[in-house]
Amino acid sequence: MKKILSIILVAVLTISLTNCKGFLDKTPTDSVVAENALATIEDAGVAVNGMYTLLKYYTMYGSYMIMMGDMRGDLLYPRELSGTGYIVYSYDYGSAQNSYFSLWRNNYTTINRANSIIKNIDALEVPSDKQAIKDDYIGQAYAVRALCYFDLARLYGKPYKFDSGASLGAVLITEPVSPSEARLPRSTVAETYTQIEKDLATALPLLSKNKNTGHFNYWAARFLQAKVALYKGDNETAYTAAKDVINNGPYSLIPRDEFIDSWAEEGNDESILEGLVNLQSPIDSDNGFQGSFYYNLWFGTANTGASVIPTRKWRQLFTLTPQDIRINWIDYDDPVTGFKKTGEYWLRKFPGNTGFTAFLNNPRIMRLAEAYLIAAEAGMNSGKGDAASLLLKVAQRADPTVTSIAATMENIEIQRMKELIGEGDRFFDVMRRNGSYTRDATDPHESHPQVLTWSNDRVALPISDEERVIYPELQQNPGY
Amino acid sequence: MKKVLLFALAALISTMAFAQSRVTGTVTSKEDGGPIPGVNVMVKGTRTGSFTDENGKYSINAPANATLVFTSVGYTTLEVPVNGRSVVNAVMASDAIGLDETIVVAYGTAKKGSYSGSAAVVKQDAIKDVPVVSFEQALAGKAAGVQAMSYSGQPGSEVEISVRGYGSLNASNKPLYVIDGVPATSGDWGTGNISISAMNYLNPSDIESITILKDAAAASLYGSRASNGVILITTKKGKEGDLVSTFKANASVSYFSYKKHMEMVNDAQNEALQRMSFRNYAEANPSAWSSYGSVDAYVQSMLDVNYPAFDYDKYIYKDWEKALFQKGISQNYEYSISGGNDKGKIYASVAYTDQHGVVKIDYLRRFSATVNGEAKLNKWLKLGGIIQYSWQYQTGHQDGWSSKDNPMFIWKAVMIDRWPYAYKATGELYEEEFSTRFNTINPVGQYKHQINDATQHRVILKGWAEVAFTDYLKLKSTLASDYLYVHDKFNWLYGHPNFYAYGTGYASDKHRNVNKVVSSTTLNFDKMFDVHHVSAMVGWEAEREKFNGLRLGKTDFSYLGATESIMGTTLDEGYAWSYEESLLSLLSSASYDFNSKYYLTGTFRRDGSSRLAPNTRWGNFWSVSGTWRFSKEKFLEFPWLNDGKIRGSYGTSGTLPSDLFGYMSVYDYGYYGSDGASYPGNIANTDLTWEKNKNWNIGLDATLFDRYTLSVEYFNRKTTDLLLDASVASTTGFGSTLMNKGSMVNRGWEVSVNVDIIKKQDMELSVGANWTRVHNEILKLSTDDEAMVDPNWGWFYWKKGYNYYQWYTRTYLGINKTGSDLNGVKPGWPMYARGVFYSKGETLSNDIILRDGTVVKAGEKMPYDGYDYTPSTRNNGKSMVVEGKRAMPKFFGGFNANFRWKDLSVSMAWNYKFGHYLLNSCQDNVATDGYRTFAQPIMKTQLNPWTPENQNTDVPMRYLGNNQGGYYNSSRMLVRGDFARLKNLTISYNLPRAFVQKLTLRNARVYLSGANLLTISKCEIEPELQSNGIYEYGMPALRTWSFGVEVSF
Repeated sequence: MKKILSIILVAVLTISLTNCKGFLDKTPTDSVVAENALATIEDAGVAVNGMYTLLKYYTMYGSYMIMMGDMRGDLLYPRELSGTGYIVYSYDYGSAQNSYFSLWRNNYTTINRANSIIKNIDALEVPSDKQAIKDDYIGQAYAVRALCYFDLARLYGKPYKFDSGASLGAVLITEPVSPSEARLPRSTVAETYTQIEKDLATALPLLSKNKNTGHFNYWAARFLQAKVALYKGDNETAYTAAKDVINNGPYSLIPRDEFIDSWAEEGNDESILEGLVNLQSPIDSDNGFQGSFYYNLWFGTANTGASVIPTRKWRQLFTLTPQDIRINWIDYDDPVTGFKKTGEYWLRKFPGNTGFTAFLNNPRIMRLAEAYLIAAEAGMNSGKGDAASLLLKVAQRADPTVTSIAATMENIEIQRMKELIGEGDRFFDVMRRNGSYTRDATDPHESHPQVLTWSNDRVALPISDEERVIYPELQQNPGY
Repeated sequence: MKKVLLFALAALISTMAFAQSRVTGTVTSKEDGGPIPGVNVMVKGTRTGSFTDENGKYSINAPANATLVFTSVGYTTLEVPVNGRSVVNAVMASDAIGLDETIVVAYGTAKKGSYSGSAAVVKQDAIKDVPVVSFEQALAGKAAGVQAMSYSGQPGSEVEISVRGYGSLNASNKPLYVIDGVPATSGDWGTGNISISAMNYLNPSDIESITILKDAAAASLYGSRASNGVILITTKKGKEGDLVSTFKANASVSYFSYKKHMEMVNDAQNEALQRMSFRNYAEANPSAWSSYGSVDAYVQSMLDVNYPAFDYDKYIYKDWEKALFQKGISQNYEYSISGGNDKGKIYASVAYTDQHGVVKIDYLRRFSATVNGEAKLNKWLKLGGIIQYSWQYQTGHQDGWSSKDNPMFIWKAVMIDRWPYAYKATGELYEEEFSTRFNTINPVGQYKHQINDATQHRVILKGWAEVAFTDYLKLKSTLASDYLYVHDKFNWLYGHPNFYAYGTGYASDKHRNVNKVVSSTTLNFDKMFDVHHVSAMVGWEAEREKFNGLRLGKTDFSYLGATESIMGTTLDEGYAWSYEESLLSLLSSASYDFNSKYYLTGTFRRDGSSRLAPNTRWGNFWSVSGTWRFSKEKFLEFPWLNDGKIRGSYGTSGTLPSDLFGYMSVYDYGYYGSDGASYPGNIANTDLTWEKNKNWNIGLDATLFDRYTLSVEYFNRKTTDLLLDASVASTTGFGSTLMNKGSMVNRGWEVSVNVDIIKKQDMELSVGANWTRVHNEILKLSTDDEAMVDPNWGWFYWKKGYNYYQWYTRTYLGINKTGSDLNGVKPGWPMYARGVFYSKGETLSNDIILRDGTVVKAGEKMPYDGYDYTPSTRNNGKSMVVEGKRAMPKFFGGFNANFRWKDLSVSMAWNYKFGHYLLNSCQDNVATDGYRTFAQPIMKTQLNPWTPENQNTDVPMRYLGNNQGGYYNSSRMLVRGDFARLKNLTISYNLPRAFVQKLTLRNARVYLSGANLLTISKCEIEPELQSNGIYEYGMPALRTWSFGVEVSF
C-alpha cells in the first residue's frame, strides 16, 4: 500500500512537472502584441485612426488648444476667477504647473503614432489596387505630424516673424525613438517650420482629394500649408494654397439661414477637418469639446462648469451690424428667468452633435471660411486684386446687408474675430503679426496685463519643470 | 452540515465507560511552586469537571484509565493519565512566550528558541477582543518593524502594511499574504467607488496566530514575492480534547476619534472672513466696485449673492454633521466548536458581523464559515482539509478628494450652516443649488438617489495529505483553490442631481472573479543523530491565477425607481476582459544544529514567472542564517541569564513587476468617431527583470532574571534593479516606461522589550514596548545625477541620497512682515522661496539667499549644493525639495500593558509615530486666504489674518481671487504628524467558576473593549494616515466602544 501510494505521488509529481511547458507563456487580452497589430492594410487603417484620437481629446483640440488660442485673447473670459481657465486667461502659468502643458506631451504622443505609421506601413506589401490607400495613409501620417509641429511651434515658440524663427521651437523627432534617443535639444522655430513644410510637401502628392471630414486629405494639408505660410509671412504660398482649397476643393460656404444649425452637423459642406466624437460614448470617455470649455456642459449638467463668456468687446463688434447672424452665438442667461440665473452672455456656438445626448461637439480644426480669410489676408498683403471679394464672401454670408468691404487689416481682423471666436485663433492671430490687444476695462483681469505684445515672455508657454527634471537637455523658454 | 460534523465527531471521540473512582491532587505552578487556584480539571472526553480550591486542591470522579485535563488562564494546558492512581498532582507551566513555543514559518514550523530568521508573532490573544472588522487593523503597534495603516475609517477598507520600510519605488510595497501555507489574493478590489479589501473575508476570531516574516532567512523561501515581507496567517485548528463550543457576541458603537481633525470656524466668523476678502479686493480694485457706488455696497452685494441670510420662516436648517453622520452601531456573533483526539481533530465556526458606519450610507455585513479538519488514517497517512467561505456586503461612499459623493468632503469643504436643509412648509428636502457658483445640492437628497455597494464572495478550499515513510521522512502534498468574486454596483438613479450628465440616471455593474490554484509538494527530512539535528526539505510549487471581469453600464431610465441596467435605454459601457498568470517554483531548505547551541540554515528557491520575458523569467533566491545560543555555553552560564542568543542572516528575495505583460511591446485599441483605432501602447522592455532585494539581519535575544525579555535587531535591506514605471521624455511619445533602474536601501534598528513586573498567582502585570527606526535612502536612479518627481503621487523627489518620501513642492516662508513690498510680495501676503537649485561652485548671476539666511552675491560661487531661499511671489516660487520634511516617520512603534488580578484582566496597546510630515491637501479648499467667491467652510487656522491694523500674525491677508495664497500647493500644506494613540483597551472579566459551573458552562467571560480611545497629537488633521501622508478628505479613524460576552460549554 505504502509503495503504491508513493508511486502514485511520484507519478503525479512527474506528470505535473513535465506538463508545465507553456505554463509560463501568457498573452494579454486587452491589447495586441505589436508584431501582430500592423499586419494588413486594414490594420493600418485602424492605426491611422489612432493618430486622431488624442487630437480630438480635450487635452488638445477638444479644449486646451482652443483655450490657449482664445482664453489668452480679448474675446472670451472665464466664468470663474479660479481654476485652469483663469490661470490661462491671466497668463499666470508657470513651469511648476503641468496640467494644460500636457499639450506638449500629447503632441509628441501623436507625433510618435504618426512616426510609427510612417515606419511600419512603408514596409507593408499591398496589392496594387490598395496602393492608393497605402499612400493616403502615409500622407496622413506626414500631415498629422506637420500639424503637431505647427502647434508646438506656435504654443512653445515665439511668433515666427518676431525674430525670423530664431527662438526655440519644437524638438524634432521623425521616427520612433528610445528614451535615450528622445532627449534631443529643441530646434529653432525656423527649423521647426522647415520640418513642417517638408512634411506637407511629402504628404500632398500622397493624399486623397476626396472629402474625408475626420481625416487629413489633400485639401486639409493644403489648408495647413496656407496657414503655416501666413504665420511665416510667406503670403504668396498662403494665397495660392488657400485659393486652391477654395476653388478646387469639394467645399462650399453654408448659407446664412443654415449656418447656426450647421455646427451640430458632422462633416457639413464647409468643414475640412474635424475631430470625430463617438456618438455612443458618454462624456467621461470621449471628450470632444469637453472639460471646462463649453457652454453645453454647464447648461446641460450640474457638474462640470463651462467657463467661457464672450467679452463686451466682442459683443460690441455687432452694435452697428445687428443683422449679422453670428451674434446669435450668444445666449443671454437672465438673472431672474434664465436657466442658471447668471446674468451672463454665454457662447453657444457648439450646440452638441446632432443625435447625441451628451452634448459633445466635434472639434472644428479647419473650415472653408477660414481659408477665405487666409486668402484675403495673404492676398491683401501681396497686392492681389481679389482680397476684398474673398473677405466679402465671409462677411456677406453672415450679414446680407454688407454689400462691399475694403480689404484692410482692420476689416480682416474684425471678420476673424467675429467668425472664429471659440475656435482657438485669436491670440495666435494677434501675435503672429506683431499686433497687440487691449482688454476691456470691464473684463475681470485683476492685476494682470490688459495689454500684451509679442515681446512678452508669456507669449511662449513654459516647458514644465517635471519634464525638465528627467530631461535636462530641454531648454526652458525665457522668463520661466 | 454542522449536525453531520457533530455526529462524526461524537463518533470519533466516543469512549468506553470504565469504573469510576475518586481522584484527588494538588496543582502547583512550575515557576514558583505555589498552588494554583481555579484550575479547571476535566476528565478527558467527558463532561465531568471540577476546579481547584484556594490551596490548589481538587477532587474528581474518574475512571482508572482516564486522562485528566488541567486548564487555566495563563498556563499551558496539561494532560495527565490517571493510570489507576488515586492521587494525581500536576505541575503547570506558565504559557508566557516560551522558548520551545512553536511558531509558524515559511513552509513549516520552527521552535522559537532555535529560529534564526527574523519573525514577529502576533497571537490570537492580542487581537481577539479588538473591535475591528479586519485583523490587519489590530496589528498597529504590535510588532517591531511593522506598520499597519488604514486608508480610511470606512468599514471594509484596505489596511496598508509596511514591513521594514519601503523597498520598491512603484512596484508594490505590499507584503505577500499566505494563509495556512497558501499564497492568497489580497489588496483592494474596489474600482474607485468603495474600498473592498480582499483580506476582510477572514473573521479575526478564526485566526490562531499571525507571523510576519521580516528578513531573508525567514522570507526567502517565498522568493520572487518576499521582498516586502510575508504575512503568514494560521487559522484555528481543532484541539485534542472535548468538543468545546464557544459562543461570542459583542455590540459596538463608533464615532470620530480625533476632535482636532479639520476644525472649522463658525458661521459668524466665516462671514466676517469672507467680508474681509471681498473688501480687501475691492479696495485694491476700484473697477470692481465702481458700478456698485461704494466698497460697502459691493461687499454687501457679494455677500447677498453668496452668503444668503438665514430665513427661518421659509427653511429648516440642520447641523450638517448630524445630517450626514451618526453613531455607528455594530453587532458581531460567533459560534465555534473545537475538539478531537489522536485520530482526528476538527474546528468549525460560523460568524456574522453587522456594522453601520459613522457615515449614514456606510454599512458592512459579513457572514463567514470555516471548517478545518484532519484525520490520521493510519500510522503513515494523514489527511486534512480546510473550507473557508465568506460573504460580505458593503455600501459606502467614494473617499477621495473633492468627490461629490464623499460626506467628509461635503461636510468639511462645502457645507455651511446657511444652506437650507428642508422647506418649512412641506418638510421636503431643499434640493436647489446652494450657490450659483458652486453646484452643490443637498447631499441627503443626493444619497437617496444613489447606490454604491459591493458584494464579495470568497471560497478557499484546501486539501492535503502527508505520508510518513519513516518517522523522519515525510511527504506532504497540498492542493488549494482561492476563489474571490466581487460585484460592485454604482448607480445614480433617476432624480440624482448628477443626472444631467447621464440623461435620466446611470447604472453600472462590475463583476470580477479571480481564481488562484496552488499546488505544492514537499519532502521533509528531520532526524537527530545524537546531538546533531539535521533537517531538510525539497519541493515544488505551481500557481496559476485566472481573472475574469465583466462591466456593464447604461444611462437613460424611464422609470423613476429603476435600479438595474436592464431598465436603461442607452448603453454606456459594456465589455468583458480576462487575464491569466502563473508562477512555477522549486524550493529547498536544509538546517543543522549542534546540541541546541549552534544552528545553521540555508534556503533556496527558483521561481519562473509569466510576467517576464522567457530569457529573464527564471530567478534564484537564497538565504543562509545561523544562531549561536550563547547561554548554553558553560562559561556563560549565569543564574540571571535564562536564555541568550545571537543570530544573523543574509539572503535574497525579489519583487515582480505589477504589470502582467510589461515586457511586451503592444498596441492598444480604442475608437475614433464610430470606428476602431489603435496606437502603440508602451515602450517595450524585454530585459525587464525582478527587483532584487539583498537583506541582512543581526539580532540579539535575551531573557534575564526570569522577568525581562529583550530583542534587538539591526537590518539592512538593499533593493537593486528597482522596478519603475519611470518617467521618460515626452518626445518618446510616452509618459513613462516600465524599467529596472536604481537602488534603494532600508536599514535600521528594532528593539522590543517586555517586563513581567508582577508574576504572582493572583496578579500579573507586564509591560512591553517596541521601537523601530528605519533609514530609507535612494542609492541612485539610472545615474547618480538622475532625479525625478515620483510618478505615484507627484509630491516626492527621487534622487540619490534622498528619502523615498521626501516632500517636494514650493517652500512657504510665512508672510511678508517687512511693511513694504518685498520682491513683488505685498505686505501681509505669503512668501515662497524662489527655489532655484544651484550646484556647488556654480558662479551666480544674481544675488541669492541660502537656507540659513546667508546672502551670496552675484559673481560669487555657490558654497554648496542648495536652493535659493529668496522670498518671492507664488508665481516665482519653484517646486523644490522641502528640506528636512518627509512623510516617513523617524521612528515608530507601540507600547502595551497587560494586567490580571484573579479573574479580571486589563490590557492596553498604544502605537506611535514621530518625526514625519503629513500633507493636508484640503487646505486647497478651506484655507485659501480668501481665494474663492462662494461660501465655503474655512479652517480655524485662517482666523486672525493680517491687516494693516493687525500685523502681528502669521496668517496671510485675505484677498478675493488672490493668486498667491493657500489655494496653491506649497509646504504650507505640510503639518507635523507626530502622534501617540491608545489603539485598544480591553477589560475582561471571567465570571466566577462556581457561578459558571452552576450554569453548566465551562467558561464565561464579559469584556469591554475600545479602539482609538485617546490620541495625543498637535496635528490639525487625523494623524494616522496611510504611508504617503497625503490627506484628501478620507474618513478618519473611529473611536469604537465594544461590549462582549463569551461563553464556552
